[in-house]
Amino acid sequence: MPIKPGEIFFKSESRYRMLVENSCDIIFSLDTDGNFTYISPAWEKILGHVPSEVVGHNFRDYMHPDDQKGCAETIANAVRTGKMGEFTYRIRHVDGSWRWHTFRGTPHVDENGVLSIIGVAHDVTERLRIEEMMAHTEKMIMVSGMAAGMAHEINNPLGAILQHAQNIERRVSADIPANQKAAAEVGVSLDLVRGYLEKRGVFAFIGHIRTAGIRASEIISQMLYFSSRGESGVVNVDLTAILERVVGYAATDYDMKKKYAFRSIEVVREYAAEPVFVDIALQEMEQVLLNILKNAAQAIAASEMHREPRITLRTGLSNDMAQLEIEDNGPGMDEATRLRIFEPFFTTKEVGVGTGLGLSVAYAIVTKGHHGQIEVQSRQGEGSCFVVKLPVQGRA
Amino acid sequence: MDNAIIRVLLVDDDEMIRDCVSAYLEDEGFCVHSAASGEEALELITSLRPVVCISDMRLPGILGDEFIIKAHALSPATGYLLHTGMLYSLSDELRDIGMTSDAVLLKPIHDLSKLVNKIKHIAVAGRSV
Repeated sequence: MPIKPGEIFFKSESRYRMLVENSCDIIFSLDTDGNFTYISPAWEKILGHVPSEVVGHNFRDYMHPDDQKGCAETIANAVRTGKMGEFTYRIRHVDGSWRWHTFRGTPHVDENGVLSIIGVAHDVTERLRIEEMMAHTEKMIMVSGMAAGMAHEINNPLGAILQHAQNIERRVSADIPANQKAAAEVGVSLDLVRGYLEKRGVFAFIGHIRTAGIRASEIISQMLYFSSRGESGVVNVDLTAILERVVGYAATDYDMKKKYAFRSIEVVREYAAEPVFVDIALQEMEQVLLNILKNAAQAIAASEMHREPRITLRTGLSNDMAQLEIEDNGPGMDEATRLRIFEPFFTTKEVGVGTGLGLSVAYAIVTKGHHGQIEVQSRQGEGSCFVVKLPVQGRA
Repeated sequence: MDNAIIRVLLVDDDEMIRDCVSAYLEDEGFCVHSAASGEEALELITSLRPVVCISDMRLPGILGDEFIIKAHALSPATGYLLHTGMLYSLSDELRDIGMTSDAVLLKPIHDLSKLVNKIKHIAVAGRSV
């Protein structure tokens, strides 16, 4: 039996509808004002909203404010040139989080002459996260190699500065017979030479050279620590116990007490009901947590937020990893800062306040020393949350 | 013990380090010799038989740890110290000849009197720290 033309249309229409409705990517159309005129069911699977509730709304209602301008420009450009446009943006999930999507859209004029944009969007959040992580790891490997090389090159000249300063002090000392002999040979009194140097503050200068040299050498040794790892004993402990020890240290730390008023910060504990045991190098991990706590207290102290200062500590298990979180309600940080926060010498603090090494040392200890992960989540104006994940080693 | 009878061999390719460490040790009365490479030091070690040999790790030819193994074969009574700018864990071979982490000195040494104490300790104990 011959097929009627209307039947062909119906069959091809239903076939396309089936393709659109079963697509894993979101297929949608927008009018020229940016209002959704159609959304495929994948939207609900990916973003959680019911499509019929989204249709009629403007794309701006769901899109991150920073991405709206770029998206509008891409649409306008596609309409003007009649060519396909592509754009990557953040879109709001029903749970309130932002997801990264990439859409490709083409202008389309229907049989009634109405112009719309028909597009396909897919979720690239995970891909971007992996790309960011890989770029970060690569950068940290490079920086750590640089740190090791620099530390090594600087140690010899630093040794010469420190040790020659010590030699100068000793070469004018009355206790060394060779000094007395040389003084006699040139016809001066060692006591008078010492008296002169003392009067003109030369001994103090030499002392300052040594103090400055020692300070530089301490920074270098932290850099070495960042690029390799010292040996220290591994113990099996409960995360809650370490956090409590570190909070105890923080309470007695001079800077924490005097500069950052640690005592005035409310410490909220949201610990897991069951202990979470991990194998860790105790002193190293304490240093990690103290560095993060100090960073949180500094951030709170530096902020002009008018709310009660608070640090929240959490422990738990997440995907077979022991997880601990240190969250502050300080000013938070922008994305550019967040991406660089673990780099050595990266600091937002004033010159002399921080060396920018604390968090990079923390990063090295967690990732290299413990095969763990450390990351920071932050919202400007709301605070930051450092998350440390460590492999679980069973219970003691 | 009179320091003058304690022979010390200092191996470092950096002249500045050889100068400042020898100046200090000479002021303490030690008999100090120095070499700019492991190869040069190996030529000296049999005739010198130092009580203590302090070697840099990153040397131009053979590295410090390899030098110590070779030097130990030639002069086993010498106590060896490794003076390094990098964090260093002793290899099994160095542990086998009796070296411990006390024998690793991290550059820069802030106070050379600590080095003097180590040298005297080795001289009294007869061998490696």
